[in-house]
Amino acid sequence: MSKFQYVGKRVPFKGSYEKAQGKALFGADVRIPGMLQACVLRSPYPHARVKSIDISKALKLPGVITIATPWNTPTTKFGIVKNDEQFLTDEAKYIGDEIVAIAAVERDIACKAVELVDVDYELLDSVYDPIEALNCNSPLVHSDFTSNLCHHVEIERGDIFTGFNDADANLEKTFKLPFQYQAYLEPQTATAMWSDNSLTIWAPGQSAKHLSDWFSSAYLLPKDNFRFIQTCVGGAFGGKNYMRVVPIVSVLAKMADAPVQFVLDREEDFLTSQPRVPMTINIKMGITRNGIITAKETNIIADNGAYAFLAPGVLEVASVRVDTLYRFKNIKTKASLVYTNKLAAGGMRGFGNPQSHFAVEVMIDLLANELNIDPSEIRLKNAAQVGDENIHGYRLASCELQSTIELAKIKSRWEENRTKSKKRGNKKYGIGMASSVHVSGSVMACPEGDGSSVMVQILENGRIIVFTGEGELGQGAKSVIAQIVAEELCVSYDQVSVEDLDTNIIQGGAGAQGSRVTVYAGNSAILASKDAVLKLKESAADIWNCNVKDVIFRNAKLINVITESELDFSTVSKHYIHMTGGSRVIGQGMFSAKNVEIANEIRYGNISMSYPFATQVAEVFVDVNTGKVEILRIIAVLDVGQIINLDAFEGQVEGGIAQGLGYALFEDFIFDKGTLLNPNFTDYNVLTIKDVPEIKIYTTDSIDPYGPFGAKSVGELALVSTAAAIANAVYNATGKEIVGLPIDPFEILK
Amino acid sequence: MKKYVSTEMNPEIKLKINGLTYKLRVTPEKTLIDVLRDQLGLIGTKKGCNEGNGGAWTVLIDGLPMCSCLLLAVGLQNNEITTIEGSKMDEDIQIIQKAFVEVGAIQCGFCSPGMILSTKGLLDKNPNPSVYEIKEAFSGNICRCTGYKKIIKAIQTASFQINEKKSL
Ligand code: FES
Repeated sequence: MSKFQYVGKRVPFKGSYEKAQGKALFGADVRIPGMLQACVLRSPYPHARVKSIDISKALKLPGVITIATPWNTPTTKFGIVKNDEQFLTDEAKYIGDEIVAIAAVERDIACKAVELVDVDYELLDSVYDPIEALNCNSPLVHSDFTSNLCHHVEIERGDIFTGFNDADANLEKTFKLPFQYQAYLEPQTATAMWSDNSLTIWAPGQSAKHLSDWFSSAYLLPKDNFRFIQTCVGGAFGGKNYMRVVPIVSVLAKMADAPVQFVLDREEDFLTSQPRVPMTINIKMGITRNGIITAKETNIIADNGAYAFLAPGVLEVASVRVDTLYRFKNIKTKASLVYTNKLAAGGMRGFGNPQSHFAVEVMIDLLANELNIDPSEIRLKNAAQVGDENIHGYRLASCELQSTIELAKIKSRWEENRTKSKKRGNKKYGIGMASSVHVSGSVMACPEGDGSSVMVQILENGRIIVFTGEGELGQGAKSVIAQIVAEELCVSYDQVSVEDLDTNIIQGGAGAQGSRVTVYAGNSAILASKDAVLKLKESAADIWNCNVKDVIFRNAKLINVITESELDFSTVSKHYIHMTGGSRVIGQGMFSAKNVEIANEIRYGNISMSYPFATQVAEVFVDVNTGKVEILRIIAVLDVGQIINLDAFEGQVEGGIAQGLGYALFEDFIFDKGTLLNPNFTDYNVLTIKDVPEIKIYTTDSIDPYGPFGAKSVGELALVSTAAAIANAVYNATGKEIVGLPIDPFEILK
Repeated sequence: MKKYVSTEMNPEIKLKINGLTYKLRVTPEKTLIDVLRDQLGLIGTKKGCNEGNGGAWTVLIDGLPMCSCLLLAVGLQNNEITTIEGSKMDEDIQIIQKAFVEVGAIQCGFCSPGMILSTKGLLDKNPNPSVYEIKEAFSGNICRCTGYKKIIKAIQTASFQINEKKSL
């Protein structure tokens, strides 16, 4: 019997009935009387200066209300890490860059008006390859910067020279990792409305805090004058952090003095979602005969495209996070993020971690082959363990990596399947493994220190409304928070509802990114519930005319320990309203992680509340005639601490693996110079229902001391090692080294 | 504000949606989804592309699942159109909705109205679909969140429950 009433259980997701009935309001479902629709003129050239813009014909089109150009909008440069973007630009830096924005009474009219705008461009030299872009005589993507290097990381720990000297075998490989589009079904959307000097944005955004930081800097608007209301979010996966639709609707709404909505079409969304950053990773590793890794040297070149957005953070993650997986002693990493005249890449689920995990986890199997030992042995021997403080100062208060490897071996019948004969008619069987680590929130998302606030209100009859600054992406955040509150207050789950995020009601948090919501909002929800209990006790003490310390709270009842009399929840919450002259019981929870260190220049110190681990095993068939890879089964073993919502947990793992399979097998952007050739769901293949293999999910027993009820994160972790496990299975089947994604059948046949 | 051309010049058409007849004026090139969402306020049908890829924008035309972003509204005057808002009148769809909610097949929910109507279309034709048949029927419905496992389970659960109700 579980000791919990709701934690760890299957409960229906909050809001899912409304979604099933078509009543849930997503970004494009926002309707405001007098609302205009926007359309944008995008540059057809990868690099061009705008010489002139003629809007006279467009202005005459009936229904057109306002036209924004680079010359009648603020020219402030803004950004998150780099101030490199503007509201609209007079120097296009990629095909798709926003030059003119039009608001009209209908979208069709706004789009027609866009066609009537004449822009005269002066074409400039472009650069598409990041290595060429680093050349000192390459064209500059941003003419006001001195080079195309956007961000650089250099880290050395231990002694790399000695490390390689101690090795019995060394191996060096170069891996090429592609773009990956978030491919959420709801395109990016925002609606803006001004009143006086205050702006309200309705959007399916991931992060209230970051949206307001970013946007306030752009508009020189005090943060308090920026209100963000989160609509239902139709999937995000990292792509709805910094949405370019927000500055555009805001500026149009200001100029038109009317609410404006902008809904991207699918092709525009491909161009502006900031997909996974493509990287070339050169890696050299040294290992002893016994399978102990002695050194790792990594060089990363990452293609940023035209604007930085979150990509510098992605580079930081790609540079260091995988080092928490094994007990590395000597490492050296150099990483460069480079501007090119292509669409901007940025954060997608995993945030740089799948890229470097691919390189390291494939290397482990190649090294195992050199040494002629089982790759799982190398993993087990080098695995991080609980209590470790790693080379970057990360402290592992919980870690069951070794158990995930061992359990994955048992569940996949590893020994037997690794050694059995490969041939099955036209196909070859293979089995491969890859492990992974991620974070539960990270200082990279909040360098000044992360925190979260939750407010619990108890109504007259005991119904509970919860407000959170973190929002909901569809991953089940509201349900997780409601379960935690219900557990703490001993009330039924149905009694608890969680409101949509509105920054006029509660401080906006960093939101659903960096796998932080369960641990941050969860801890905060516990504190808010405890605070509410205190107030209930005050109310009961007032009824009994006794001392507050003589009142205890048990099973949703207030008990007077002296007289042993009882009062129920709703009586006491009703009394509180009379007692205070009209206030509900309001519990406030403010949580900040005490075990996390603030970001510093040397990148040393504990960056996350906790570290979840996983091992995945893939079983594949490879067709010897076509090179086609068919996935038979994925076995995932996770160390994620206490699970709060079982359906949400499985949903995250299954959905994450599906995206990992796409990354491994067929997702990529095809470019002809600066032109994206596959910006639609016909030519960009995401996993369909026909492609899903059998997925088996297991967990190791673990409780993290810092997580709410012992929980760690799961959302991003789920896909971090999927592609590497598949590559290793293909290697096992065919003996072909897989050093690039998506896996190319022709390479296998070669 | 400048004068804006109204739709009065456009032909008047009649559409039968969820059992009700709507009289409205539309331009000939208007797709069903735009008419539903923008003119009738039936926002339960979601829009995510304009090429019929994805399936979230599925409605039932005479009981068959079709992409509302590919159909012209003027061509549908003789058909029965069912959108997710029509579930109020259809017990089967309500059973399907409940199954999706209860097995956890809804994450972001953007694909859900389309998935649910496609389920209705499939189960009407084939009350006992095998996993293979489900996969064939849903190969055009994208869900980026769930990895489809729970969606398959929801369809199977709904199929079982609808059959059970019918055998009573
Ligand atoms: S639940 Fe999000 S696309 Fe299916």
